[in-house]
Amino acid sequence: MSPIAIEADSPPQSRTFMRRFAGAPLPWIMPVIVVIGIFYLYPVIDVFRLSFTNATLIGENQQYTFGSIANALSSPQLPDILWATLIFVGGSVIGQQILGLAVAVTVIRGEKRGLFGTTILRTTALVAWVVPGIAGGIIWQMLFSEAPYGALNSILRLMHMPTVAWLSDPAMAPWSTLISNIWRGTAFSMVVMYAALKSIDPSLYEAAEVDGATASQQFFFVTLPQLRAAILVNMILITIQTVNTFDAIITLTGGGPGRATEVISLYVFNIVFRNYDLSGGSVLSVLMLIISLGLAFVYASFLPKEEEQ
Amino acid sequence: MSGRTGTRLGDAMSYLFMLVMFVFFAGPLTYLLSMALRDKREVYRGAARYIPDNPTIQNFITVLNNSYFPIYLWNGLKLAALSGLGVLIVALPAAYAFSRFQFRGKGLSMMGLLLFQMISPLVIMVPLYRYMNRLGLLDTHFAVVMVYIALGVPLATWLLKSTVDGIPRSLDEAAMIDGCNRFSVFWRIILPLSAPGIASVFIITVIAGWSQFLVPFLLLTKNDLMPIGVGIFNFRGMQTDSSIQLLAAACLISVVPAIVAFLSLQRLILGAMTSGAVKG
Repeated sequence: MSPIAIEADSPPQSRTFMRRFAGAPLPWIMPVIVVIGIFYLYPVIDVFRLSFTNATLIGENQQYTFGSIANALSSPQLPDILWATLIFVGGSVIGQQILGLAVAVTVIRGEKRGLFGTTILRTTALVAWVVPGIAGGIIWQMLFSEAPYGALNSILRLMHMPTVAWLSDPAMAPWSTLISNIWRGTAFSMVVMYAALKSIDPSLYEAAEVDGATASQQFFFVTLPQLRAAILVNMILITIQTVNTFDAIITLTGGGPGRATEVISLYVFNIVFRNYDLSGGSVLSVLMLIISLGLAFVYASFLPKEEEQ
Repeated sequence: MSGRTGTRLGDAMSYLFMLVMFVFFAGPLTYLLSMALRDKREVYRGAARYIPDNPTIQNFITVLNNSYFPIYLWNGLKLAALSGLGVLIVALPAAYAFSRFQFRGKGLSMMGLLLFQMISPLVIMVPLYRYMNRLGLLDTHFAVVMVYIALGVPLATWLLKSTVDGIPRSLDEAAMIDGCNRFSVFWRIILPLSAPGIASVFIITVIAGWSQFLVPFLLLTKNDLMPIGVGIFNFRGMQTDSSIQLLAAACLISVVPAIVAFLSLQRLILGAMTSGAVKG
């Protein structure tokens, strides 16, 4: 993270101080280094330090101990939290990836064929993406609500079908949060997939056509292999986004019913800012960090080597 | 496979899929609008009154007359816009350096930046809260804007670098031969030519700031400092089932500015994102 200033392409023997100063990369990068150093690097190091203490949000005295780590990791709630996180993150990644790819493929096909509504669909998907998390939670609560105004249940009632306890049934609620998150997140995958699809060499399809490949064969033997890198990069990005999401869940279910939708980020939030348990929250923050980075490295190890340049 | 029928069938399936997706993406937002336009009685008719019999804008008037709501909106706008500016000030010079200089550790620093992008604000908020507290910066917009800037800088630097990469180096070289130093090259050539990239990064940052919840929720306690994200969360806490139409109106008010900003610059934003994604 500390670039050593060795310049290669600036004019030699600059006369003024100004020139020498501006000719090295360091001064240009300095603001980023300062901002990242103060607001990212230092806090992250401090989170690691705090996990070895018994600090609280209010108390001033803190002692170094391994107790917080032991407590946080042996908490009887942790397995449930991790399970809820796994469902939420795994489901979101799979759902957003597949749906994003499907929409991107359809949009590209629609553009080629000049189908009506292609741009409308693309724009609508993107609009869902800029909805703030808190608002997204409120919107989906109105859809899932079991009160008379709940959209989905009142549609079911109109069709004389049994209603569903979208948010109050512990077996159903995780799926409901998943659907709302897929609604918000699909557009991102769509953009990445769209860009990647556009960059596939058209001659590959011409060759496949000459060989008599059907549309689905073209998809599985040309499109998918060409998208490998983009899919993996996209998976990394949405995994990390989803592990860190909690604002949408706070307004949708608040983590309930019981702990059915309490994902790790919401759990950390509650521990630190409701229970004031700073050290315990730090331990779990570190755990979150390890999960994100671990998954990122797993995905990244599948990336083709040429892509690294 | 007979080409003509295959294509027709493909079109039909495309249309069907597009319709389903359209309902999935647009449905929730239109239902929000429907709820926001209803009076108390029609709220209880659920989806049957998708188009209300007596549409009213009274809910919007009530929400905007709430003594805090306009303040929330103003605070949200102010924080988001300032962070957009701040991100540009910090990220632009770095993007220029990453694009035009060769130096040891460049690739590594670029990857390092992305790594920070992966860290949840939740992780860093714990210590940041303590520092801000100790520095007496809690309950200041300054602290909030600085954290927004830090959160936005990694992605902004990447996107701006790919914008600068798109400007031919020969322009820099020509200007240098004409006696420009690097500052004036940056100021007179790189900045004007990066305008589209700059605009899109600004809008992306502003939308992200507008959506922020965690940072202001933690760093601010005074109600008159809260931006819209936290405001709507608090507002929700005060509503009951019988005032759901007010919540819908408030929610819509918080959603629309982001959507308008995004739609008006959609091309630019997607251009910057896709070129960044492809070149990565």
